[in-house]
Amino acid sequence: MSEKNLQYELIPLGTIKVSPNAIANIAYHAALESYGVVGFTSKNLVYGLTQAIVKDPTYGVDVHYDGKEIDIDLYLIIEYGTRIKSVAHSVSNTVRYHVEKALGISINEVNVHVRGLRISDID
Amino acid sequence: MLDSLAASTADFNPTKSVNGRMLKRLIEAGLTWLHSNQQIVNTLNVFPVPDGDTGTNMVLTMQAAFDEIKHSNETNFGKMAHTVAHGALMGARGNSGVILSQLWRGFARALDNLPVLEAQDFARALAEARDTAYKGVVRPVEGTILTVAKDIAAEAEHIFHTTDDFLQILESVVEAADRSVQNTPALLPVLKEAGVVDAGGKGLYFILEGMLRYLKGQALDIVVGTIQPLSEMVLQNTLETIEPGQDFEVVVDFRPTAAIDLPAFYGMLEQMGTSIQVGEGEGIYRVHIHVPTLNLYAPIDYTRSIGTVTRVAIENLIDQIDGRKSSCVESAPVLTPVEPGQIAVVVVSPGTGISRVFASLGASAIVDGGQTMNPSTQMIAKAFEDLPTDKIIILPNNKNINLAANAAREVSVKEVAVVPSNSVPQGLAAMMRLIPDGNFDNVVSEMKQALEEVQSGEITCATRKVEMNGIQVEEGQIIAILNGKLVYSCPGVEEALLNLLSIAKADQYELITLFYGADILPVEATNIADKVQSHFQSQVIEVQEGCQPHYQFIVSIE
Repeated sequence: MSEKNLQYELIPLGTIKVSPNAIANIAYHAALESYGVVGFTSKNLVYGLTQAIVKDPTYGVDVHYDGKEIDIDLYLIIEYGTRIKSVAHSVSNTVRYHVEKALGISINEVNVHVRGLRISDID
Repeated sequence: MLDSLAASTADFNPTKSVNGRMLKRLIEAGLTWLHSNQQIVNTLNVFPVPDGDTGTNMVLTMQAAFDEIKHSNETNFGKMAHTVAHGALMGARGNSGVILSQLWRGFARALDNLPVLEAQDFARALAEARDTAYKGVVRPVEGTILTVAKDIAAEAEHIFHTTDDFLQILESVVEAADRSVQNTPALLPVLKEAGVVDAGGKGLYFILEGMLRYLKGQALDIVVGTIQPLSEMVLQNTLETIEPGQDFEVVVDFRPTAAIDLPAFYGMLEQMGTSIQVGEGEGIYRVHIHVPTLNLYAPIDYTRSIGTVTRVAIENLIDQIDGRKSSCVESAPVLTPVEPGQIAVVVVSPGTGISRVFASLGASAIVDGGQTMNPSTQMIAKAFEDLPTDKIIILPNNKNINLAANAAREVSVKEVAVVPSNSVPQGLAAMMRLIPDGNFDNVVSEMKQALEEVQSGEITCATRKVEMNGIQVEEGQIIAILNGKLVYSCPGVEEALLNLLSIAKADQYELITLFYGADILPVEATNIADKVQSHFQSQVIEVQEGCQPHYQFIVSIE
């Protein structure tokens, strides 16, 4: 590569658009890696049915974008026997961190809805 | 703290089997040793700004576990283990704390009502602890505390066939934990990139090592022979661990004339006082120690004998236990009284200077908190519960505190709004829009709008090496953060500040306010402000004492 090729001007290249689905996807994977989260559940029954037919990897994640701020809602199943408050807190932190890291956009709210517990052992 | 540890160990032979009382002492030993090494664990965090998390969370979790058994005289090992697990569960903080509590839960379940623990029970319990912990996550990430739990369980299952000596078993378990921790970067790329081992795993290692050290009769409250870089000495935190009789905090900077013999050096310091920390940077050593009045000058005399003393700072701790903050002028902010029906603003502030500024703008309540010490929901809620009005606005002034502020809003019966300020400058900009007698919704939306109109800069020190946003940061370097993003790094504060301002295009704004931190002297701040003024001649530069820890400067550009 010659010296000349390395010199170029910075020109606007176009716009980048990220769909809420893509954000939901990142949030989904981040939440699943978070300790204490054992699954997702749907926001409501109707939504759950459509999701059951069209299986997509954003099940239980809702992303709202009102043109200014991004809010993420997570509908989760947590492992029985963990401190739910702490788990919810770290899920919300992890999701925020991963989404913000991937997109470089700041997130307004990450809301965690605990919809159920999975019981694998009873002490 | 260790008084009860010194008490009798003679109830039985501790190396063949362990009963409930012994477990209590082991837990205390693990907690104490983890506490001594808390800062080491905290510096392993993967994000470069000071964000004292994993170590602190694990200590708080273990502390809750110990508090639960502190007054118990239970001799049954199984019952005691269940109480520990319960305490850990209730006090679990953060990801690592939750995992730790699950490890205890599994450990306790395996033992049920077992009166004493023997070698094979220990192996069985560790295996159960591992299984329980793994159940709590769908996709276990290897190279974390989970991996360490797995490796120690494997080691225990292997070793108990060859010996029934509990001390020997614990010794090989601790060695296995150490190997496992050292191996975490090989399993988790993010650790390798950052050049650190896993913090949670290291924390678990310290808990086990503390138990082993106790059985061997080694000291638990000092970090033997560790020297940290100057930038990593977090002296603010040492105030939490004041022992009775240690009336003064002495910090001495000196240039040694010959190489320091660490064990001997520590040995001398240990005779003088407690809470010893030693830092090193560019040939200068900094010693931090708490001493009784009698020994006040002993550290200074001693360091003079082995080098040239360059700076000495002495603080009266007794005077500070209530007032916390050190180097800043101590004058409590005068809060604005609020009338019934008026709007009251609750502010989270990282430093006393910043609190005073907020108070002068009309804040009615102030909660201490910032990057490394996020206040709890209760602390925020308590701050406004007693105010004689039910219209409350919260300014969290830090992204990490937003959540707690929102939770406080939910638990309160009052009309509460959170104006999500992510930084102190944003909070101040919002504060300017406060009209105490105005319409609540209008004031809130005015304040939210104000957030956009200011740029927030921060100058701090990187706690470790990292590459982010294409910027290479060395440990101990000064980094500049603009609106939450790392934008520049270099060795000097002044250079970082000037570059931050030019990246923020401060020449297109009117007012630059510099809040200098607890580590910066007023003279230094004025000098730097003069430099800034010479570069930005048409802007108004204001210098304010912020007293915030960790951040040399917080900059507001508006």
